[in-house]
Amino acid sequence: MRTNQQTIQEINREALTSNWLRWFSSNSHENHQISKKGRSISLLNSDTPETLVSKVAENRDKQAFRLLFEYFAPRIKSFLLKQKVTDEVAEDLTQEVMVTIWQKANMFDPSKARLSTWMFRIARNKFIDKVRRQKYVEVDVDDHIKLMEAPEKTDTAVIHKQDRTRIMLAMDILKPELRHLIELSFYQYLTHSQISEQLDLPLGTVKSRMRIAFQKLRAELGEF
Amino acid sequence: MGPKSNSVQRGPNHLISDEWLLAYATGNLSEAKSTLVATHASYHPVLRQKIRSAEAIGGVLLESSPTSVFSDGFYDRLLERLGSEDSAKNLSSVVNTLKEDNVVPEPLARYLDRSLDDLKWHFMGPGMGQVKLHSASDGEKLWLLKVKGGTEIPSHGHNGHEFTLVLQGSYSVDGHKYAVGDMELASDDIEDHRPVISEGEDCICLVVTEAPIKLKSLIARLFQPFIGL
Repeated sequence: MRTNQQTIQEINREALTSNWLRWFSSNSHENHQISKKGRSISLLNSDTPETLVSKVAENRDKQAFRLLFEYFAPRIKSFLLKQKVTDEVAEDLTQEVMVTIWQKANMFDPSKARLSTWMFRIARNKFIDKVRRQKYVEVDVDDHIKLMEAPEKTDTAVIHKQDRTRIMLAMDILKPELRHLIELSFYQYLTHSQISEQLDLPLGTVKSRMRIAFQKLRAELGEF
Repeated sequence: MGPKSNSVQRGPNHLISDEWLLAYATGNLSEAKSTLVATHASYHPVLRQKIRSAEAIGGVLLESSPTSVFSDGFYDRLLERLGSEDSAKNLSSVVNTLKEDNVVPEPLARYLDRSLDDLKWHFMGPGMGQVKLHSASDGEKLWLLKVKGGTEIPSHGHNGHEFTLVLQGSYSVDGHKYAVGDMELASDDIEDHRPVISEGEDCICLVVTEAPIKLKSLIARLFQPFIGL
């Protein structure tokens, strides 16, 4: 496992995007306060999204929560907007997701799942519950899982970033018709039959393309 | 839960195929099918692994989404919510009392929220009982089926798919055996479907039917309106 300092700092720069930096600079009052206590420096240099969640869990740390919000909430909202809901519904759902993150931060285990995976599950479940008003039984898929040999948070971040890059690359090289199916599945909550109608493709073709696309993406992910 | 027997060939579709796992992970299954897939996956690490991968892909797509702007005061309203949720303080104090037993895996136990003994089984033929768990407006149904060991189920064709997950006991169809944790996916082109329950304990299955089953024999046709398939 790679732990060199260069890589870790690269991750932190990546994780704390311009959004976060903008927030720091636009809140001059708070910025001044935290700089005085030296906390903004420690946040910028050592925190990953995963460590921020544990700060929320352990200390009910609103500062850490705010940083998570700044990074994830605008993405969660735009992800939800792709499901063809109104702006208002997307905001309501995003609020629900963020409240759940606040409440259940202690349930998140970075050694078992990526933070983005956890957020995806929460967003999906909120959408099904609030918009479709449907029951959706969950199965614990993180049992017996260990992402790495030594559960050091920095390592987790490195692995997560590598996985993310690999998945995005895999999406990029997927044939357009396969990529389109994956996007319809994730972004628009369409069933196999609905996709088959929308694309005017036989149901069997939709299913077999779905299998191929999924296999290709999984091959990129490897075992984790 | 591993294979139960080496002597009889395992049914060809005893594990549900990838497109259903992907559909589960992306949130695109109905109530009946999501309950079935989650319960099926609870028996097989390989299926859970695939669901995990699909959810990880979802997470990456979420994280790679462009950013949206929020309406004024959104964060303040969120903070207010957090304050009131915290003061309500009933979050983690709720102890989950699951009625899990050795027949019903956790996802199904959570869905049922009661034990098998507390269910009201309805007579549907000699040696057969059923409990309807959910009916959707498009005709899809989720139900539990309990059949006495040694029973032969009346021959029936299919309209739409029929998914059968074995929770207890086993049965055979066309020389293939389906045991605990196995899923049989019978497609709509099957004309003559006649499962035989293995001798011994009752066979209990979780079943999803997509549309009314066409029963073929006269007696079965007479039974159909009565048993409500």
